[in-house]
Amino acid sequence: MMRRLLLPALASGLWLAGAAGGQAADAPPGASSCTGCHAAQRIPDSVIPRIAGRKAGDIVQFMREYRSGAWPSSVMGRIAKGFDDQQIDAIATWFAAQPE
Amino acid sequence: MAIPRRTLLKTAAAASLAAPSIASAQAGAGRVVVIGGGFAGATAARTLQTLEPKLAVTLVEPNRVYTSCPFSNGVLAALWEISQQRFGYDGVVKTGVTLAQTAATAIDAAAKTVTLADGNKLSYDRLVMSPGIDIDWTALPGYDEAAAQKMPHAWKAGDQTVLLRQQLQNMEDGGLVVMSSPANPFRCPPGPYERASLITYWLKIWKPKSKLLILDAKDTFSKQRLFQNAWAQLYPGMIEWVPLSKGGKVVSVDPATLTLTTEFGRHKAAVANVIPPQKAGAIAQQAGVADRSGWCPVEPVAFESTLRPGIHVLGDAAIMGGMPKSAFAANAQAKVCAAAIVDLLAGRKPVDPILINTCFSLVAADYGISIAGVYRPDKGQLVEVPGSGGASPLDVVGGYRGQEALYASSWFKTITAETFG
Repeated sequence: MMRRLLLPALASGLWLAGAAGGQAADAPPGASSCTGCHAAQRIPDSVIPRIAGRKAGDIVQFMREYRSGAWPSSVMGRIAKGFDDQQIDAIATWFAAQPE
Repeated sequence: MAIPRRTLLKTAAAASLAAPSIASAQAGAGRVVVIGGGFAGATAARTLQTLEPKLAVTLVEPNRVYTSCPFSNGVLAALWEISQQRFGYDGVVKTGVTLAQTAATAIDAAAKTVTLADGNKLSYDRLVMSPGIDIDWTALPGYDEAAAQKMPHAWKAGDQTVLLRQQLQNMEDGGLVVMSSPANPFRCPPGPYERASLITYWLKIWKPKSKLLILDAKDTFSKQRLFQNAWAQLYPGMIEWVPLSKGGKVVSVDPATLTLTTEFGRHKAAVANVIPPQKAGAIAQQAGVADRSGWCPVEPVAFESTLRPGIHVLGDAAIMGGMPKSAFAANAQAKVCAAAIVDLLAGRKPVDPILINTCFSLVAADYGISIAGVYRPDKGQLVEVPGSGGASPLDVVGGYRGQEALYASSWFKTITAETFG
């Protein structure tokens, strides 16, 4: 279902996947902070899900539902409330372009 | 065209001094020196080198391994060992960063040089300072470096953490543990209360007749109601918190008798943990980036010092508006700063950043609470985005606290991998 989401940012976004490690210079505002919990590298035994390489539409949907409270969360609802739709779209598009 | 001989000589001298800078600038890069290899500095060095491989990045750090303050309260409660708090710099060096295993002793902001304890001098185009905190040994009468061997602060993790744990383990059941907590600002705002929680968690299992007293120079603290509700539920009658308004501020200590004196009275401890007033690491004062408060004012986009251009200050040493002094914040600031420095060296203007902070605290091994915030520049300061952030709910169902404890341990594995590689 989420594959059918076609967002403006996805349609227009042409992102260069830069240096490995979730640290590409073109990261949109906010993206570099996400890796404090959602690391670029694989973390053994972590219960925090990876987001690098996930579909942008999925990340957008989760962030919107965290923000509205439709999907229960601990810190993510509080963090999502700090971002508007455009910022979420840009961050999601960037993470989708990172190596899974 | 006739050029006066004296001018020509001066120009030649200037050119030869500046030669490496010109050469690297032509190669589209530059020289960045990072002082201090903690959560901010190690992240900044790795990120700079990864973002721009042509940069010459030098990390100045005298210690071979870093001992993490986050999660060190778990060492006090014997949940894990101090060895699990230690991280080396191999992962930083692997990215191409040069490690200068020595201390920075002087900074000349005008000449853009850093003098090292080993006698070398480094030139930079941009300097990143992340010196962390120093204990303010002048702030609390009776509390000096010798006193810290009797009444450990354990606010820089390592030997001090081990000493405090040994003292707790040697204490007789029924003893009184006294902690003092300083006025704001200080490293890790929820840290003293997580520590009180985890020490009491351990006391309840091993020395259940003991009690813990917190003498506080504040009337409120981070995640206060969450902590106090949990204390009432998990450790009834074991923790007493004395706020500023009830005479909680410690005004002097006596290491010989383990006595802490407040405005209202004296408290003799079996084990005393004095968390004293702090300031930015000493090199920040020397460099002229610290103001009269002892901390370092910066602008909110690239975290460049408002006192010394060309020097960026990150982490606990800096005044970051609404952002607390935490490892998560230091790591986030370092990534933003690294991208901004790459932009600045390439002649681009850095865009306004958004930063996140998330701090987990353990109240027991399987009981976690958190606070989060989202920050952006506004009128020259980092301010919290209205309507965002906040602490864990007071009323929860099911396994919420257990889930946050799991997130806490996953976060620690993640942030240390993000920082040290």
